[in-house]
Amino acid sequence: MYNDRVVTVLVVLSLIWAIAGMGAGVFIAAELVWPTIDMGLEWLSYGRVRSLHTNGVIFGFGVSALMATAFYSVQRTSHVTLFAPRLAWFCCIAWNLAVLAGGISLLAGWTSGKEYAELEWPFDIGITIVWLSFAVVFFGTIARRKVKAIYVSNWFYGALIIVIAMLHVVNSMAMPISIDKSYSLFAGAQDAIVQWWYGHNAVGFLLTGGFLGMLYYFLPKQADRPIWSYRLSIVAFWAFTYSYIWAGPHHLHYNAIPDWVQSLGVVMSIILLAPSWATMVNGVMTIAGAWEKLKTDPALKFIVLALAFYGLATFEGPMLSIKSVNVVSHFTDWTVGHVHSGALGWNAMITFGTFYFLVPRLMGTELYSVRLANVHFWLALAGTMLYILSMWGAGVSQGLLWLTLDELGELSYGFRDIMASMAPYYALRLVAGAIFLAGAVLMFYNFIKTMENKATVVRRIPEVRTASGVAEATA
Amino acid sequence: MNVLGLHKKLEENSGLLIFGILFVSSIGGLVQVLPSIFEDELITPTAETRPYGALELIGRDIYIREGCSTCHSQQVRPLLAEVKRYGPFSSAGESAYDRPFLWGSKRTGPDLHRIGAKFSDAWQRVHLIDPRSVVPNSIMPAYPWLAANAADPRNNIQTRLRRLRLLGHPYSDDAISNAPDLVANKTELDAIVAYLAVLGEAAGSGEEMAH
Amino acid sequence: MISIPVEVLIRGNRIFSRLDDEPSSTGLVIVKDILPLALVPALFLYFGSMQFGWEIGSRTAILMAHEVVIAISVAYFVALFFGLLGLAVLLRWMAPTYDANLEFSRHLVLIAAVATPMVIGSIAHIYPHVFVNMLAIIPALIWSMYLLYRGVPTLLETTPQQGMLMASSLIGIVLVAAVTLLGITVALWTHGFGPSLGL
Repeated sequence: MYNDRVVTVLVVLSLIWAIAGMGAGVFIAAELVWPTIDMGLEWLSYGRVRSLHTNGVIFGFGVSALMATAFYSVQRTSHVTLFAPRLAWFCCIAWNLAVLAGGISLLAGWTSGKEYAELEWPFDIGITIVWLSFAVVFFGTIARRKVKAIYVSNWFYGALIIVIAMLHVVNSMAMPISIDKSYSLFAGAQDAIVQWWYGHNAVGFLLTGGFLGMLYYFLPKQADRPIWSYRLSIVAFWAFTYSYIWAGPHHLHYNAIPDWVQSLGVVMSIILLAPSWATMVNGVMTIAGAWEKLKTDPALKFIVLALAFYGLATFEGPMLSIKSVNVVSHFTDWTVGHVHSGALGWNAMITFGTFYFLVPRLMGTELYSVRLANVHFWLALAGTMLYILSMWGAGVSQGLLWLTLDELGELSYGFRDIMASMAPYYALRLVAGAIFLAGAVLMFYNFIKTMENKATVVRRIPEVRTASGVAEATA
Repeated sequence: MNVLGLHKKLEENSGLLIFGILFVSSIGGLVQVLPSIFEDELITPTAETRPYGALELIGRDIYIREGCSTCHSQQVRPLLAEVKRYGPFSSAGESAYDRPFLWGSKRTGPDLHRIGAKFSDAWQRVHLIDPRSVVPNSIMPAYPWLAANAADPRNNIQTRLRRLRLLGHPYSDDAISNAPDLVANKTELDAIVAYLAVLGEAAGSGEEMAH
Repeated sequence: MISIPVEVLIRGNRIFSRLDDEPSSTGLVIVKDILPLALVPALFLYFGSMQFGWEIGSRTAILMAHEVVIAISVAYFVALFFGLLGLAVLLRWMAPTYDANLEFSRHLVLIAAVATPMVIGSIAHIYPHVFVNMLAIIPALIWSMYLLYRGVPTLLETTPQQGMLMASSLIGIVLVAAVTLLGITVALWTHGFGPSLGL
């Protein structure tokens, strides 16, 4: 049988990270409404908890979910069990310990100061080793597969592993000073270009590509039919892998980097829309037309909604990279909203959908409550919509008011007044985040109850065995 | 040409697939990022830019530690409104001694690249310890612990300077040997205020060039 | 014959089965339901802007000239009216894909019902403070989306699966359309239309 215990553990760890990471997010959202709730404590200060939030959700929740689904699907698409299962366990445990210790170190003020790559050099080295073990298990399993072709979901997981390794190693190069401090090998504008090559593609190959691997396995599984167009998936994959890597400089528009780098970034960002939406169309068409096979279970609902927000995020991104839009949106909360339409609407929703599919199967039992899952769906949808709306409102007014001049050609608004006018949007964002978090907590409860169900089932097995023999128990 | 046929080779050979992904995903980096790394112009300091002094450097490291750059940018864009609001726009050379760069991606608070000339050290002290005493509706966190901590408790300012010299920052032997005296008996608050005071010192004449 | 918005208030999502049994004509729905739904928020906006003025960006409320308020309110009404019609057209366009009922009046009725909570929430325009309006949006938006997911399968006579997909597609398209509008607006600003920006 397939090696699924490590998958189960990774799913549980991912769920714990979801609650912790989103909880940290809600906390810092609250700090922007009530700035004194940090009680003057260093460890609760916004600047530190913010990186705990991003690292917790991306590397804790996101990567654990990706490892879980990669290990689950690579076995089934290769018709073999995991290569080096002990290494898989090492990967699972060491990764989560690294993110946990790393998270604590961020609160203690150990940080490289590079966005989404804040962990200091000892963690960077540790992460690299764990990531290599992930690569060995994954590609080792593929290498001994019993089917000829490597299934498309595995290309995306493969690209995730390879490209993230490359980005991480280059961007983390630094001169250590002490255990908790290092200076980047790159300086100033060069550091900026390298950092956003990393930052943008961590989003690209982890949050987009990695989760597309999830989509390509679990969507056809859930719809019970093959992917709509295999050819489209091939073209989209290579176009995606080629063009994403160029788009980083759109994070540095009107900053002190060469113009040609910025312009190239815009062109490639816009081109990127094509493979992104091709994948979405492929997903939608896989579901469309197979009505009689579809069940409206929570898993499918989440996956379908994830596709809708994926469509929004991958459209909004190229749009925000256009200089005449970016000049207003840059440095504002619009960027934050854009990130969350992807992170909440796409990444979290497709993971929730996948987990609603996966957990009952891993436990060999029914989901505890479909009703609770439906409530979760509403909370997730409402939370995401309100989050996006609040940040659109905040971002567009910031961008506009910062740049507005009066009849005399002087600035119309002082920075403090503009900042103060953000209060309602930040309050709404807090509510939105809390609603989304509440949904995740419900899901967690639902899964705990599901696992308890499984526990009662397990306890009954010996009775069956004594009554009617071994054969039935194993059947 | 049958693309699918060609692709069949890739999807049936894991080694080829790994190589293909590595190759295709490297092109962008090689053409776009690598040339920037070898473009010295990007990290040639402007005439007014100097390496950070010992206390300023410690202040900058505290600025990084507290995640100030999550809410404050250090990058004035060449836009009329921005030059009016903050001062001369930023140039690449000003960041030549910035490891890492601190341009930021978000302005929950204002840009700080030209903050040095705007507020006195005394104001910065009060503001860092209790922001709302001077800006009533500020949402910035308070940093009371900065005043209580010694600037260089581990006595490693010389290590920091020497390592930076290895990376090409022109610190003289004197600057390194004098460093411990400069930071002795200073608090973290002294250090970060010293750092904030030099922000904008190297500002060029970007105002005239704004379009 | 009562108006759909009133009925949403009285019967909640049970109205969909009632409406399913008694289809009405396109013109009647537009006049009786869509028109008032677009008119009410515009009226609230008009009164609010005249009485209190908007508080945006600065601490003092902006009181605009009467003509400006009228122009903005009329523009708001027109945008809402055609926005609601546009949503119905969008539903009609998607209908064959999801094997849904093709009668346009049904799509209009659905949009009217879904828009109702948002219109009720727009009563907050009377006090045009961003904070108050934000508070009103929260329940209104959730209620609207609930009605959308409940209404599609009943009123457009699809299977629950198809209805769920159709509602999600509509949300996706509306979000992309909204962000496009935002982008176009911003690009117009930066190209010299509207407020004067220091670029």
